[in-house]
Amino acid sequence: MTALLLALAVQVGSKQFTESVILAEIAVQTLRANGTPAEHRRELGGTRVLWEALRAGQIDIYPEYTGTIAEEMLAGERDLPGALARLGLGMSDPLGFEDNYALGMRRDVAERLGVRVISDLSRLPNIELGFSNEFLRRRDGWPRLREVYRLSQARVRGMDHQLAYRALRSGDIQATDLYSTDAEIRAGDLALLEDDRRAFPRYQAVFLFRAPLPAPAARALARLAGAISAPEMIAMNARALIDRVPEAQVASDFLREKLGLDRPVASAGLAARIAQRTAEHLFLVAVSLAAAIAFSLPLGILAFRWRRLGQVALGVAGVVQTIPSLALLVFMIPLLGIGAGPAIVALFLYSLLPIMRGTHAGLSGIAPELRESAHALGLPERAVLARVELPLASRSILSGIKTAAVIDVGAATLGALIGAGGYGQPILTGIRLADTGLILEGAVPAALLALAVQALFDLLERALVPRGLLLA
Amino acid sequence: MGQPTFETIGAVKRYDDAFALGPLDLSVPSGSTTALIGPSGAGKSTLLRLLNGLVWPDAGEVRFRGRALSRAELPAIRRQIGYVVQGGGLFPHLDALGNVALVARWLRWDEQRIEARAAELAHIARLPPDALRRFPSQLSGGQAQRVSLMRALMLDPEVLLLDEPLGALDPMTRFELQQDLRDVFARLRKTVVLVTHDLAEAAFLSDRAVLMRAGRIVQQGAVEELIRAPVDPFVTSFVRAQRRAP
Repeated sequence: MTALLLALAVQVGSKQFTESVILAEIAVQTLRANGTPAEHRRELGGTRVLWEALRAGQIDIYPEYTGTIAEEMLAGERDLPGALARLGLGMSDPLGFEDNYALGMRRDVAERLGVRVISDLSRLPNIELGFSNEFLRRRDGWPRLREVYRLSQARVRGMDHQLAYRALRSGDIQATDLYSTDAEIRAGDLALLEDDRRAFPRYQAVFLFRAPLPAPAARALARLAGAISAPEMIAMNARALIDRVPEAQVASDFLREKLGLDRPVASAGLAARIAQRTAEHLFLVAVSLAAAIAFSLPLGILAFRWRRLGQVALGVAGVVQTIPSLALLVFMIPLLGIGAGPAIVALFLYSLLPIMRGTHAGLSGIAPELRESAHALGLPERAVLARVELPLASRSILSGIKTAAVIDVGAATLGALIGAGGYGQPILTGIRLADTGLILEGAVPAALLALAVQALFDLLERALVPRGLLLA
Repeated sequence: MGQPTFETIGAVKRYDDAFALGPLDLSVPSGSTTALIGPSGAGKSTLLRLLNGLVWPDAGEVRFRGRALSRAELPAIRRQIGYVVQGGGLFPHLDALGNVALVARWLRWDEQRIEARAAELAHIARLPPDALRRFPSQLSGGQAQRVSLMRALMLDPEVLLLDEPLGALDPMTRFELQQDLRDVFARLRKTVVLVTHDLAEAAFLSDRAVLMRAGRIVQQGAVEELIRAPVDPFVTSFVRAQRRAP
């Protein structure tokens, strides 16, 4: 029943940054308050992932910015709603605030230098600028800014966004790029320079959805039109990022104050959270491992019987093994979308080599006179395999499966990147919020699970490997 | 004597390098005990393994009870030919009884019949009954060899092939097992072909001998005949070399 409800629920996706998570949470809670079951697929990744997932129907709604749509997804389209409609998509009314690129300075420095708008910077060729690497590179970032405002500063450095804030506060740089709803702005010590010549595209926050949205859901989203101002968004970002309030709580508080929606957030306790993630994680590992055993055990046997085939199969599995797990996961998205499915396929591929190799090595290691004895007794091929070869190879096969299982437990944490859940989820969120506690909430159980898997296989070895082999 | 149990007719086995076995023309009379003897590398084991199809001839044919071996029938035929591989070849994952009963269990004999047959064989092979529950790594060399013999005899085959059955045993055990083997052969009246490089052992255990050298049969017949009427100087020198040994 629950599974059915979940399948029917409107799927709301979010990107891997705090504002997107909060907006998705606001959408989910608003939908639920209006009687539409909704589920939040958190932190699925970047723009590309969300856009593809929306088009593939794996999510129904996600928060996006008009500028991003115009610049990245539908570059060159003048009529955004029309272009979206042709793709079977729709765009909500703007939510109210804009999350634009902006330049920021320390308030006291700006006042001393007499800077209020970006044009004022053209008078100060000697100040030092520090920009995020993405801003430096993007067509609509620094290149356009320099052109529109004819800026001539020679001292321009690329750096990490968070480091840029620190450099700004310590006076190493005088101005940096920021987003107009950055949590850091709440502190009040930063001055935003007005984009007086409109160099930056406008990034109005909207919801993208698959059209047509069911009427109740559309009505619910309509309540959010123009509902969130820039200061409100800054405050919410700051509560989540700086005060470490869970996004669901931030969204719920906002909706209560602003729209009078009073829906207490059911915040699961630590034990319940870990239990759920353990279930998700075990599901990923168990399904992928079972499939890998069913597939690569016979393949390992074939590889042993036919050497040519064996070399090819082991070679292919070896190549798969060298693909970085992150790349493999991302590679899965266009083929299989997001969620547990592609993560399981990726883990399955990773498990092939250890199991195949364990099987192959176990069979190859059997002394020729034993194999000859088995045949000379008059056992047919299948019986030789089942009663002599596989039992003799059992230790090696089991150790291959054990290796695969331990690899899977580790690699499954990356599944969270494509919405598969598991222990990777708190790790991912923890990294985004720079919250060590949250990272440990995922990392510690993952490490414990790896140890448990080791121990389980040691027990299995005692149970499954014939006693006579353990004596030697 | 009737039909010979085994015949090889112009059987040839070639290996990658220059070495080739045969052409071999051999006849093993039913009910006889035949020893394949000769220096190491003469091809004794290969000839033995031609008889149960573990080695397949490149030319010529091998007949079992008058019919050429066919690959499709091999498993069924092998169940009528007991085989003791060099070194015993016991499966380390099975205890002694598991080794002895492997094929019987696969043939779905009931457990009572298996236990009765194993007890009978333990008696014949003079294996202490409690050794049946031990794993190969827990058996002495002589015991392992007895278990291997029991395994070969389990289905009561008409024929027994043994490859150096007394190969790696210490002299005491070897002597003891020699006696027991002879008793078993005499008692069970099976057609036996065994490989040994020891003329005295061949004389002790068998009534016929086949002397091989460099992949060819030099002489076959009764053991005394080899000593009394050697067909060429190699037979003479082989016999003399063996005599010098204690």
